[in-house]
Amino acid sequence: MDKLIYCLLLAKSNHTKPETILNSLKGVMEASLLAVEYHNISAIISDVTEKQFVANKQHAVEFALVIDKLAQKYTLLPMRFGSMMDSTGSVMDMLERNEVEIEAGLKKVKNKWEYGLKVLCDREKLKEELIAKQDNDSLNLVKPEIDPNKSVYKTYVLKKLSEHRAEEQILSFVDSILVEIKTYLRKLKAVDKCKKMTNETTIIDAVFLLDKKKKKEVINLVKDLQQKYPQLNFLLTGPWPPYNFVEINIK
Amino acid sequence: MINDSVIDRSKDITILELLDRVLNKGVILTGDIVISVADIDLIYLGVKLMLSSVETMEQLKSERQRIDK
Repeated sequence: MDKLIYCLLLAKSNHTKPETILNSLKGVMEASLLAVEYHNISAIISDVTEKQFVANKQHAVEFALVIDKLAQKYTLLPMRFGSMMDSTGSVMDMLERNEVEIEAGLKKVKNKWEYGLKVLCDREKLKEELIAKQDNDSLNLVKPEIDPNKSVYKTYVLKKLSEHRAEEQILSFVDSILVEIKTYLRKLKAVDKCKKMTNETTIIDAVFLLDKKKKKEVINLVKDLQQKYPQLNFLLTGPWPPYNFVEINIK
Repeated sequence: MINDSVIDRSKDITILELLDRVLNKGVILTGDIVISVADIDLIYLGVKLMLSSVETMEQLKSERQRIDK
């Protein structure tokens, strides 16, 4: 029977032994959960046969809910969905081989939650708004004059120039919001990872790791930003277990 | 008061965010099985300020349990 691994946790981070909580939880496909312990760390597993295991949305949600419940009580590192080993002995060996790395990873995320912040917008509309905000002089520079006497080449160049300037404007606008967000997060001593322009609608995609006590501050930040930039959509999610802050590959 | 459509949208987003994490992030077990998931598309819709949370996940779970019964 294979073992599906949900997370690696620091058993010492709570006075209650993991088994007590595991008895009240069910894993993927209603399977019972078990803790494989090695010194201070434990792997939470359930039995699963590869043939039975269908990787679908429902099972992924069940998997995540187990991690989420345990994250309320323990410092943990979530495993990627579908991580399996062939026996409890193999799981124990894996804990032994990677003990130092796992403990270091757990230390980094202790007493912290992850949050996700996406800033979404209609890029074309935003482009138009930014151009409209320019003063008349720069507006003349940005808008190509459509003059029938001008060559097709010149009109093309002007159009491209205008597009280029509009893109530059968006980038500098996004940078200024990003600086605002990062400055605030730095004050809260958060660790962040931010990406810009990940697709047509997402101008900022950030995840950050923050002390569990600072939830209200994050919510207030997003509310303030939404009020300041009504043309954008701010999507804050969390608190999550630290999925984006586990930088270890275990063997 | 939050209306039903906002709650529905919040649930959808929570699910998307959750799947994005559970499928693409987390500790990787080198050399072991990695399952590919075929029936999940991650699409984000334009939304106004939205705060999704564990509470939404809890709600999803209890609803599913109700349906199962």
